[in-house]
Parts: sequence; C-alpha cells; structure tokens
Amino acid sequence: MIDMAQPLLEVKDLVKYFPVYSRGILMKKVVGQVHAVDHINFAINECETVGLVGESGCGKTTTGKLILYLERPTSGEVLFQGRDAIKTFSKGSGEEKMRLRRAMQMVFQNPYSSLDPRMTVFDIISEPFKIHKHVSSNEWKERVYKLLELVGLEPYHAERYPHEFSGGQRQRICIARALAVNPTFIIADEPVSSLDVSIRAQILNLIMDLQNKLGMSYLYISHDLSSVRQISQRVMVMYLGEIVESATTEKLFDRPVHPYTRALMSAVPIPDPKRKMNIILLPGEVPSPVNPPSGCRFHPRCQYATSKCSQEKPVLAQVDVDHYVSCHYYHKFI
Amino acid sequence: MVALRRNKNSEKTMKRGASQWAVAWRRFKKHKSGLFGLGMVIVLLAIAALHTVIAPYPARPAPDSFKPLYEGEAAQPPSWKHPFGTSVMGTDVYSEVIHGSVYTVYVAVTVTLITMLIAVSVGIVSGYLGSYVDDVLMRITEIFLVFPSLLFILVFARLYQLRNPEPFWNIFGINVPAGLTMVIVILSIFSWASYARVIRGEVLRMKETEYIQAAKSLGASSRWIMLRHVLPNTLSQIIVLGTLTMAVAVLLEAAVSFLGFGDPNTITWGRLMEEGLQDLSTVWWVEMFPGLAVFLTVLAFNLVGDGLSDALNPRLRE
Repeated sequence: MIDMAQPLLEVKDLVKYFPVYSRGILMKKVVGQVHAVDHINFAINECETVGLVGESGCGKTTTGKLILYLERPTSGEVLFQGRDAIKTFSKGSGEEKMRLRRAMQMVFQNPYSSLDPRMTVFDIISEPFKIHKHVSSNEWKERVYKLLELVGLEPYHAERYPHEFSGGQRQRICIARALAVNPTFIIADEPVSSLDVSIRAQILNLIMDLQNKLGMSYLYISHDLSSVRQISQRVMVMYLGEIVESATTEKLFDRPVHPYTRALMSAVPIPDPKRKMNIILLPGEVPSPVNPPSGCRFHPRCQYATSKCSQEKPVLAQVDVDHYVSCHYYHKFI
Repeated sequence: MVALRRNKNSEKTMKRGASQWAVAWRRFKKHKSGLFGLGMVIVLLAIAALHTVIAPYPARPAPDSFKPLYEGEAAQPPSWKHPFGTSVMGTDVYSEVIHGSVYTVYVAVTVTLITMLIAVSVGIVSGYLGSYVDDVLMRITEIFLVFPSLLFILVFARLYQLRNPEPFWNIFGINVPAGLTMVIVILSIFSWASYARVIRGEVLRMKETEYIQAAKSLGASSRWIMLRHVLPNTLSQIIVLGTLTMAVAVLLEAAVSFLGFGDPNTITWGRLMEEGLQDLSTVWWVEMFPGLAVFLTVLAFNLVGDGLSDALNPRLRE
C-alpha cells in the first residue's frame, strides 16, 4: 500500500464474452454470449498478493488468462507497469511482447497436466531459456539447478520425467518453470487445490518465501478461503463474472459486508468443535452466465433482495478504507 | 556443478528417468501377440532384404519377353523342388512370392510415409490453429472422405498406364517401378483424410491442456508449440495409425493388382493372384500361396498395431 502512485498491474473495465453458437448446415450462428468476465476493475501493487475467490465457473480463471492474453478480451484494459499489455500482446513488436511475457507468468491448477509428459524436468525448465534466449546455453545447467534448489528440489530430479513425481513436486517444477524468466508478477490459478492437504502448506510457504526472496507479486486465484486468508494481503470476491466485494484480508474475513461474501465466510470451517456454526445456505443454483439476472446478479439468491435489486445494478461503493462493496443495501450489513 | 551434484543421493544422481518410450517398450514386451506380429514383420523384412539369396529361381526377366521360364515343369503341385508349386507358365510360385515381398515392403512403407505426412500436417495445423484454417482444411478433408476412393484409385491407375510411360525410373542406381509408385501415390492421396481427422481430434483435446497453455504464456510461437509439444505428444497415436496404415496399404495394393489395374511391370502378390485366377480350378496353389502371404503380412501389421496401441495408450497405464 506504500506505492500508491502506480500499481504494478491495473485492470480496467475488463470484459470477456464467449459466443455461444448454434450449428447450422453451413454457417455457425451466434445465439448468445457467456458473460464470463463482466466489467471488472482492480489493481495489484508491487510485492502484494491479491486473492481472487469465487465458486467454480464465476470467471476467476478467465480473468487470469485475460491478463496474460491467453484469451482475447472482448474489451477493457490491462495496464502492466503503466503500459497497455493487451495492445503489446496483440500489436506490439516481437521484442516488446517477449519482454512482457518474461514479466508475467502463470502457475496452473492441475500439476498433472501442466507439464509436457514427453520432456524431462531439465527440458521443461530450460524451455523458457530456449524461447527467450535471455540465458546463454552454457549457463542453462547452472540456472536449472539453481531454480530446482530455489523450489526445494534436488539436482538429480532434472533428468527425470514428470510422471515420476508426486503432485506437490510437480507443482514445484511448474513454479520453477515460471521463475525461469525472472517474472515480477505471477498468476497462481488454484495452485494447491489438486494437492493433498499436507502438501498444500508446503507449496503455500514456498510461494510466500519466493515473495520475500524475489519481491514477487501474485494474483492468487482460489475457491479455498483458508488458503486465501493465509497468503493474501487483499481479497476480491467474484460472483458471476463481477467483483462483488474487495477489501484487505482482515477486513474481509472479520467483517464481510456483501450477503454473498457473508454466505461464503459462514462456510469456512472453524477448528473448534464447541463453537456453533451459523452456515448461511443460499437457495437455488448459480444462474447461467449466458443469461445473467438483471440488476444485481446476486438478487435471485439473496434473502435481503428488494425490487430495486432486480432493476438497478449496484456499483462498487467504498464502505471503509480499502473496502469496496457492490450492494444497494451495504449500510445495513456494516 | 560438481559441488551441486555431490549430495546424499549420489547413486541416484546419474540415473536418467524412464522416458515414456522406455515405459511403452517395457509394456509392449509383455504383449504376446504384439511380439509375435513384430517377429513376423522382421521375418518379412529379412525375406525382402535377402530375396535374391533366398529365392531358388531369379525374378522374371523383362516383363515384355513373356514366355514360359521353366519349361516342362508347368502347373506342378507343391513338391520339395517347388514348395509352392508352379504356375501354368512354368514359373516357381515360391520364388515369385519371395521376390514380391520387396514390393510389399515398398508399398507398405511409402504409402504409410506419404499418408502420415499429409495426415499429420493437416491434422496438427488444422486442430491447433483452428478458426478459418481449420474450416478450410476440414472441408478439403471431407471432400477426400466422401470420394469413392477405390473407384478413383482404379480410374487413376488405369489412366496413368494408358499414357504408357517408361516402366522403371532409375533413382540413385535403383530401378524404381514407375507404375507401382504411381499406384502408391494414388493410394496415399485417397487414404490420408480419415487419419487427419483422428489426429485433429487428438490435437483439439491436447490444445486445452495446461502444458500448452503454459508454453503459450511463456511466449512460445504456434510453430514452436506444434513442433515441440503437439507433435511429440501425438507421436504415439501416429505410430499406431501408421502401423495400421501399412496393413491397409498392403491389402489395397493387392486388391488393385488383383483387379488388373496394377503396374503390369511388377510381379506383386496381387498380380500373382490375378494371373492364377483363370486356372483356379486346376492350379489352386498359384492362388493360395500369394494370398496367404498377403494375409500373414496384414495380420502381422495388425498385431503390431494392436500391441503398440495397448503399450502406448495412456489410459491403460498400470
């Protein structure tokens, strides 16, 4: 929060609609759109970890892919260090593109499918060197061993194939590959959700260690609230492609305001058998993102909804320092 | 590096991990029918390589000088001297089958190479690049799929022979039969389409995997991803399809020759059967032994293909 002048990453009005086709005889016809990410705004500062939570299908992963231009945004802006990343990726020169690629990396959800099964660990980690040519070939070996050491693996692992490793070890390899280009910003897309609980803490610690050692910034995407709480300084809650609440971690977990966030928080298990849990059960299902509800997208499942909620779209309002909520009646819940 | 390598697991240090190919070979070695098929293929290759040594009689000389070769011994049933009997023209069927194996290997290998080259390029490019490239390539593929291919093969083979070109091309000192090569090209052109679709499907599935996404986020170009990630990971599929293509190619070439549309200058197994057809009632051995050779070859390739697909199929991993 010190560097308020310019955040590392700024996302402005980012939108991604996926077209839905009906298959005709000869031509495809667009019959609708999946509103995967709908006008979201946020910023990430240097050396900061921002958590992005929400249930599956709410657009978290798409947000990550949009920032890295793995999906082409429908509209909106992504500013990295003040410069337009989308423009660089789509129209920039090769050199500019590669420089931006080196600055931002991603660690994927499933470590079992994010490593090419036909390559050895050495080949996997040195692939960035071959693509970017930022390390001369006689230094590859040294760099690969250094990276392996950094993520807590042994040098002899370099000659092995991915199928010989456990999930946690594979995730370490993925992190090493991401680090090979010396990025300043990493999008971690549910990096621990497919790992054993006992391994999760190790990987989370590794991620936090790397932040201290290398000054990394993270966008930590997850549906697992306890890991988000442990790792992030700030948390954003996403529902059906929109950010409904954003606050520092303590504020969000101690005093959630948005009814959806409150329902989410009530589902976090508390390690105390005597304490009674007040789980707020949301009625119904998540509506289809093809045809999102009018007004506030949460209104069909919200027990406090009024007719205003179904007609008017709430805006993200500041309720406290570093605490923003998108709800018409937030003052009731503070 | 020395310092880094010297750690408590020093004995593990130098051991290279088992690649997927090593694992697949280990699994293939347990596959009995696959190994049997591989043995048969090796025997076929050995026969083809050593055909001049093994065959008791030389191959038929210039096909135009068509005359009985071994007079007085025409239409003999199988005996010790002629294990597969002799034809009505007096040729030794055993020798002819052995000489024919060269053409069989030639057909199997070249048809597979050409077919797979087209199928793999179209499949990978179409599947990976998608959008309009995919649309265009797939419409072309569909055109080739809906052609009655055997009919076209016969028509084109006959058209080529009507032009009556030179019977052999001399390529690097080797006499390559021109007519047979044309049949091979025509066979390949009409058989890649279905394989291209299979490979495209595989690529479409792979395109969404996270290691491709990871390579993209590293800034790898489409060409890099197609050559370094997509191709190596479709290779097992390609090998299995290729082995099965060999069987199909041998069968198709035999059919074309048997129908009399083959290269008149090469004595392939199909051609032998065509020649024996009119005397089937008296000299059944002229028909049976080349037929058996085709059958065993196709069986061998199919067994190997089956074994490979079991060994390389990741879903059956122990």
